[in-house]
Amino acid sequence: MAYGPSKNRSRSQSEPREPNLIPIMNLFIVIIPLLMTIMVTVHLAMIEITLPTDSAGGGDEDTEQLEDLPKVITLALLPDRFEILVEGVEDIITIPQTSAGKYDYFMLDSNMALLKDSNENQGTIDLLPDPTVKFDTLLRSIDICKSNNFPNIKYLTSSTKYYKAK
Amino acid sequence: MNTLSVKVNRSSGGGFQHRKRGNKTKDLNITSLIDILTILLVFMIKNISMDSTRKNAPEGMLLPTTITTNELIESGKAVYLKIYPDRILYGTESMRVGSLQDFLNKPEIRNSLLRLLQMESRAIISGNSKPCLLIQADKELPCLYITEFIKFSAQASFANIYFSAIHTDNKSEVLGL
Repeated sequence: MAYGPSKNRSRSQSEPREPNLIPIMNLFIVIIPLLMTIMVTVHLAMIEITLPTDSAGGGDEDTEQLEDLPKVITLALLPDRFEILVEGVEDIITIPQTSAGKYDYFMLDSNMALLKDSNENQGTIDLLPDPTVKFDTLLRSIDICKSNNFPNIKYLTSSTKYYKAK
Repeated sequence: MNTLSVKVNRSSGGGFQHRKRGNKTKDLNITSLIDILTILLVFMIKNISMDSTRKNAPEGMLLPTTITTNELIESGKAVYLKIYPDRILYGTESMRVGSLQDFLNKPEIRNSLLRLLQMESRAIISGNSKPCLLIQADKELPCLYITEFIKFSAQASFANIYFSAIHTDNKSEVLGL
């Protein structure tokens, strides 16, 4: 006597069997915390500075070339203000703090943009920080200079400067 | 207390079939959860950086924010110097050098750090690379120490000096607006 196919067999063929997702879940539970621990959430930047070098004195034949040299721009970071000195210009640009301990970076940015317009061939800023000025102020100032197309920042480390603050 | 329901099974000769209430459990549908986790996984794999171990922000240090960024010079090799308000750490292994006051006042601390930097510099130069100093300093640190370290590194033939900062695309953040 022949029997027809069982009801269970016909049901298993018609209904797709659900895959077992538990191993995949376990894998995810391990991988996701692992990736979260090594994921970079903060992108670090590097800012390059250059050190002053001893420049040799030029002879008489170089005087014509010296006239074409860009003017030296010095930015002094003082405890209560910024001061910008442009070589050959007597007036010092002074940017006082907006309030106690709060530097006016916006004005510094505006002045740097103006200086770049008037000194297009100059790409270096001589930076002279006061020893008490915070590192944050120093780095913000460097950043403002670099963002205004002054890519070279010369960090003046000597205590005796040709620059005389007010 | 579980109650038993009794149902007459007509197909099997009228016998009684006992069924326990609450025995049937509904399967949890985790397909949507798997979908979310897959998206999360793809996102994380995309954002992961294998370089992260060397460029992580030092723990417990507040770094300044910048919009501009420079790359390390070609064939440059960086030596890390972490300057906290209370201590100085040297190298990727974060070897403790001493406090900032020790650095300023104790010649033996300065000499040992200078020797370390000079040794490192010579080793980098002998490997046909250029020595670079990467200074990671706390944003509240006075420039006095930064200037001292820059002078110091110049003595140890480190001509390329970099400051570490957190990169942002928002200029207003840098301008303090």
